[in-house]
Amino acid sequence: MPDSGYPWPIETTRLDNGLRVVVSEDRTAPAVAVNLWYDVGSRHEPEGQTGFAHLFEHLMFEGSVNVAKTEHMKLIQGSGGSLNATTNPDRTNYFETVPAEHLELALWLEADRMGGLVPALTQETLDNQRDVVKNERRQRYENVPYGDAWLRLLPLLYPPGHPYHHATIGSMADLNAADLATFQAFHTTYYAPNNAVLTVVGDTTAAEVFGLADKYFGAIPPRAEIPAAPDGRTVPATGRPAVETVTTDVPAPRVYVAHRTHPYGTTGYDVTTVLATVLGTGRGSRLYQRLADGERIAQPDLVGAYGVDLAYAPAPLIATATARPGVDAERLRAGLAEVIDELATVPVTAAELDRAKALLSTQWWRHMSTVDGRADVLGRYATQFGDPAKIAERLPAWLAVTAEQIAEQAAELLGAADRVTLTYQPEEKA
Amino acid sequence: MTLIATRPGPGAARPYRFPQVVRRAVAGGQVVAAHLPGQNLAVALLLLDAGAGREPVGKEGLGGVLAKALEEGTAQRDGTAYALAIEALGTELVTGLDWDSFQVSVQVPVDRLNAAVELLAEAVRTPRLDPADVLRVRDDEATALRMDWANPGPRADAVLRADLFGADNRWGRPMYGDPDSVATLEVDDVTVFHSEWFIRPGTLIVAGDLDRLDLDALAAAAFAGTGGGPVEKGGPIEVPLSGRRKVILVDRPGSVQSTLRLGHPAPHRAHPDHVPMSLAGTVLGGAFTSRLNHLIREVHGYTYGIRGDFASSRRFGRFAVSSGVQTAVTAPALVESVGEVSRTRLTGVTEEELDVARSWRAGQLSVELQSPRAIAAALTTLVVHDLPDDYHARLRESLLAATVEEVSAAAAAHLHPDSLTLVVEGDSAVIRDELVAAGLGEVVDHTP
Repeated sequence: MPDSGYPWPIETTRLDNGLRVVVSEDRTAPAVAVNLWYDVGSRHEPEGQTGFAHLFEHLMFEGSVNVAKTEHMKLIQGSGGSLNATTNPDRTNYFETVPAEHLELALWLEADRMGGLVPALTQETLDNQRDVVKNERRQRYENVPYGDAWLRLLPLLYPPGHPYHHATIGSMADLNAADLATFQAFHTTYYAPNNAVLTVVGDTTAAEVFGLADKYFGAIPPRAEIPAAPDGRTVPATGRPAVETVTTDVPAPRVYVAHRTHPYGTTGYDVTTVLATVLGTGRGSRLYQRLADGERIAQPDLVGAYGVDLAYAPAPLIATATARPGVDAERLRAGLAEVIDELATVPVTAAELDRAKALLSTQWWRHMSTVDGRADVLGRYATQFGDPAKIAERLPAWLAVTAEQIAEQAAELLGAADRVTLTYQPEEKA
Repeated sequence: MTLIATRPGPGAARPYRFPQVVRRAVAGGQVVAAHLPGQNLAVALLLLDAGAGREPVGKEGLGGVLAKALEEGTAQRDGTAYALAIEALGTELVTGLDWDSFQVSVQVPVDRLNAAVELLAEAVRTPRLDPADVLRVRDDEATALRMDWANPGPRADAVLRADLFGADNRWGRPMYGDPDSVATLEVDDVTVFHSEWFIRPGTLIVAGDLDRLDLDALAAAAFAGTGGGPVEKGGPIEVPLSGRRKVILVDRPGSVQSTLRLGHPAPHRAHPDHVPMSLAGTVLGGAFTSRLNHLIREVHGYTYGIRGDFASSRRFGRFAVSSGVQTAVTAPALVESVGEVSRTRLTGVTEEELDVARSWRAGQLSVELQSPRAIAAALTTLVVHDLPDDYHARLRESLLAATVEEVSAAAAAHLHPDSLTLVVEGDSAVIRDELVAAGLGEVVDHTP
């Protein structure tokens, strides 16, 4: 068993304005990954403003005081870099990987949009990016079979008012109602240095990065009061299962089963991670062996289980299967439920546990094999757990999970009364 | 204002070096490896000359069915035992297929690579191919394709390919086949394809810390029990341009977006214009900052994204643009897209645009080639296209040296807006009249 999941150096500092800076030097390739985690996600959005954090992420690419509209992309790509940003319920991250000689450019660009976005934000930009986000919603969620499953699962898992109740993409109506002043206020409130972590991994030194961070970010003023998201750590049990069936234009019946587990980063969620792998990763998993291979009621490519790594409330465990031709939704639903129920009653064998841990180890090292992969996880640990060095603990923690812990968690959390079941049923064709 | 207004220039360049490449002939096969010192993870990939181009016409999807059938048990153990054995090493068997090759790979911590390659070879060389399993896998693959074809895109892709290359040819049909072609495959098709193409040694690609790996032992495992030599690969195929732009409408009732696939034939991979042509593609549609994305997404807000590029295999190539646009703006999005292709052909690229494109493409070599999986893919390119060890270094130089004149000339020579086939998969009843009125070319309804 490895002692550490992170055999690279980690150095940290905090600027006077509260910006935390994390550096992990690695001279293997002449590239650096620059990553900013802002501690704002869709969990911070009040009712009527769903989708704002994500739309805001788009606006961050549309220019700031010293960077013209569309210039950000052009400068990063023109330096040979890759870039992107993502928003989820927990946070918003921005990242670019560039040839090492362009590190300073990347930091300058990030500082300019942290400290100087509001004066450059126009109504025209807002309108245009609102259209782009609506197109994203059509393309990802509305125009594809089963595309809205996540949008439907969240409100079944989390009650109204819970920070994870609504999906990050938000509603079209809320986006339409958004005005420029609201977005300017959003930036002022959340895009402050003391609400962010800057991580740099790759061909550089901590001293160089700390100096450059101070040069470019050092004068950006902190924000005194940053409102916290609503507390979602306790989700009251309803005592009865949540069931939804959607009859729509899909090619085959599909069932999703979901449960609330533990927040990411806890021992309980480490158990969930291993449990999900035993249950639903690979041909040797219980779901594959039982539903795709054994009973042959599920399509082999579309059966699986995974945890969604959210940190501020009991995170979802999701298992899914899609029916083979001639199998109805009810039979599939019963099969899926039975395999999940058995996690509490049929002990996980040593071979099952070893298989899951071997797959998780490879997955961990694959994630760590690029500077951008490492930078994002360091940013997560600094933001969510206050210490990037805790990154080293995750893999050993997975490897320490026991069969007894899995059975206990299954008995405690995966019972029928706590179950969310979402079923897609093909429309009857005329 | 507290921010620094002056944009910093670059520091001293730190040139990218592709890892040291080792080539070796062992046990009747070839090994091509890259040394990644200190890397904990290693990848081994067996490359076989068994790509979609080797499938007989009418048997599209054969390689995909065989790929899945490999895991249904071997001469030594049944499918479940095989899955447990390979997953206990921390890897799954990853298969892939393109026009030129069939690939099967494993990715594990470096000390487990030997055991993983032994299992890989066991499945590839000695699969059980029990007839009942093969038929079940075939049916599952047909179902999987039906699921996939319920999404927007695959039908449009197939219609474009058939129009460009002719549905009588293998390369005019979908690379992975379609639900019907797979459903009609027989057990013999699969076993014959295996015996013809999967027993030849092929090439073993290895990316990892070679100080901790024994290439001879890996090769011995990968090539055990193989026989037969390489087979003639066939030269480039001449594909005529249509000379007549047209619109093909694929009906998808109720669709909230129209899926666009625009394309025409283009040169094969070894064409001397490969680098300037691909740079022209980058300026036009290959990057987020490219002309098409700027115009259609950033200026008009018609789409979440639009891309265009030249793609090529050993024997043929194509230029294509793909996007999904809101139904209501289908016609203007097409008009603007065709207009941008025409403008790029007529007036070429600017120095400013090309500067971004060549630095981006060159820089991507250092940014993207980090993981063992990415390095293995780069080695695969060397093998499939008979390229030298220093290919990536030379590619970087030729990208950076390409001039505005060369790239503009490539755009003029290889973009053919008047020969474009414009496939639109969307709600016919809503968009048909507008497409006719747009005057882009004859509008034809696709009949399945």
